[in-house]
Amino acid sequence: MSLIAIIDDDPDIIEATSLVLNAKGYEVVTANNPVDGYTIIKEKKPDLIILDVMMDEPDDGFFLAQKLRREKIDIPILMYTSVSKAVGFEFGEGELVPVNDFVEKPISPEQLVQKVENLLI
Amino acid sequence: MITDKPRVLIVDDEKGLRLGTKRLLENEDYIVETAENGTEGIIKGTEKEFDLAIIDLKMPDIEGLEVLKEIKKHRPHTICFIATAFASYDTAIEATRLGAYSYIPKPFSPEELLFQLEKGYKQRILLLETENLKREREEQLVELSHEKSRLSAIINTINNGVLVINKTGELVYFNNSAVRLFNLHDVEMGDLILEKLPNEVSELFKTLINESGEKSYSIQLEIKPNRELIVEAFFERITGEDGDLRGVVIAIRNISEFKKIELVRNQFVSMVAHELKTPISAVLGYLRIILDETVNITEEKEEEYQARSIIRLEGLLTLVNDLLDISRMELGTKQREIVELDLKEVINNTLVFLEFDLKKKGIDVNKDFDNGDLLINADNDEITRLFTNLLSNAIKYNKENGLLNIIIDKSKNYIKTQIIDSGIGLKPEEKDKLFQQFFRAKNSKTRGISGTGLGLSIVKQIVETYDGKIEVESEFGKGTTFNIYLPINK
Repeated sequence: MSLIAIIDDDPDIIEATSLVLNAKGYEVVTANNPVDGYTIIKEKKPDLIILDVMMDEPDDGFFLAQKLRREKIDIPILMYTSVSKAVGFEFGEGELVPVNDFVEKPISPEQLVQKVENLLI
Repeated sequence: MITDKPRVLIVDDEKGLRLGTKRLLENEDYIVETAENGTEGIIKGTEKEFDLAIIDLKMPDIEGLEVLKEIKKHRPHTICFIATAFASYDTAIEATRLGAYSYIPKPFSPEELLFQLEKGYKQRILLLETENLKREREEQLVELSHEKSRLSAIINTINNGVLVINKTGELVYFNNSAVRLFNLHDVEMGDLILEKLPNEVSELFKTLINESGEKSYSIQLEIKPNRELIVEAFFERITGEDGDLRGVVIAIRNISEFKKIELVRNQFVSMVAHELKTPISAVLGYLRIILDETVNITEEKEEEYQARSIIRLEGLLTLVNDLLDISRMELGTKQREIVELDLKEVINNTLVFLEFDLKKKGIDVNKDFDNGDLLINADNDEITRLFTNLLSNAIKYNKENGLLNIIIDKSKNYIKTQIIDSGIGLKPEEKDKLFQQFFRAKNSKTRGISGTGLGLSIVKQIVETYDGKIEVESEFGKGTTFNIYLPINK
């Protein structure tokens, strides 16, 4: 069964997302900041990362994604962005932000599962 | 002046001729004056303007030619005739040179005289009309040149740029602002300007030149990067009387400041949207799980999620109220009831309100208040809000079992309140952003502390409303001190 890492500073989002994914049979590991997030990725080697772009700093998720890619860790990343416009980043495919897909919060469980399934194929 | 009746001056030393001619002309509706010698002729002929003058060539005192010269000098439009019995070729030439209109040989018949005078009078009228026309034209030219220099002075001093380009792309007119706003260098009238202008401007010029119709255009351009200079340029075609295109006028406006305000506003709206969306996402997440039949949760969990949802919604409500307060304060529509307030009382009441939080975290409060009256004139709600925000921060960002010192001093004009906590403290870069809307110091130590990021920006606004001042001192890891100065009530 696939392992999914959820990295988000909002405990309620982690809780709700974990539950939905658990119900679909995925295993979940979580972290509420980029430093712990990096650690669990290195230790647990998940099959997919769900990463919030805005944690301690408005672009923490963005830098974590870049760091992972620089270290040749190419686990698919699904980025949570309720903030793309808020912080002035314009995300385009392959442009600076090395992630595989974006989702805008809030997301329905069906959409989330579908995005996850697409990335895990 | 041209009057209805021609005015004639007869200068002749021969009395019979003088009077005879006078009578003859008066019968023909002339107004006649006479002079009996050259001296009198000069006086009369120069002191006022006659339409016509008949001057005898030979007079005992002054020669007719001298009289002619003097009259012509002062009254150049008086038509002068020289009357003489001794017409010589030389005197004829001299008389013409001095401005005589014609010769009247003596003796003359009445018909001959009247014919000559009529001719002369017509000439005089023509002369005056020409003169009038000439003067009018000169006046118009002077006016026009004034108008032109006035216009160019006006155009040169306005802040907006003006640039006129003819249809072959030559610069026909420009003002200083145009040079500045398009960041041009070394431009002169007649330059082929298109290659010196920003690309978008040249392209739009070509579009305008090549299409018919009356469409006008405007574009916004970033002339200097990083929003240092943004302009809006308006394009209007100039057509001749035949409707054919002659060129294009470009008016340029500096919109950098406007764009800055727009950016700040957009950023604020985005921040608000984000802050609203975060709790909504969390609550939606929980509600969907509770309703989702494919996800099994215990009744205990369900209750926990409901409780969490309520907490998030309460946070959302606080945020919306903070936003409304900020908006009211910024718009100046906040209703204030200015009364005499005792700061000791306000702070003690606030501490009672926060007692639960103080006890929960085990915070020890020390108060050191000045013994005198500590009175200010202000709205109770606002001042309570000010100290509630500051004191609740001093609790939230404090250590477990930390300290909270509150010191109130008064000077001549101000009451100084110090709120000193033994909490997390601020990093220097956090201190700079502290009063910004939505700024929250985020690090491993602040994680889990809830807030809207608006509390201190509201505090600052309230302090400034009352002409006060707020300062912050802080050391990361040791604690933070806020100094609040409010004008004393005298």
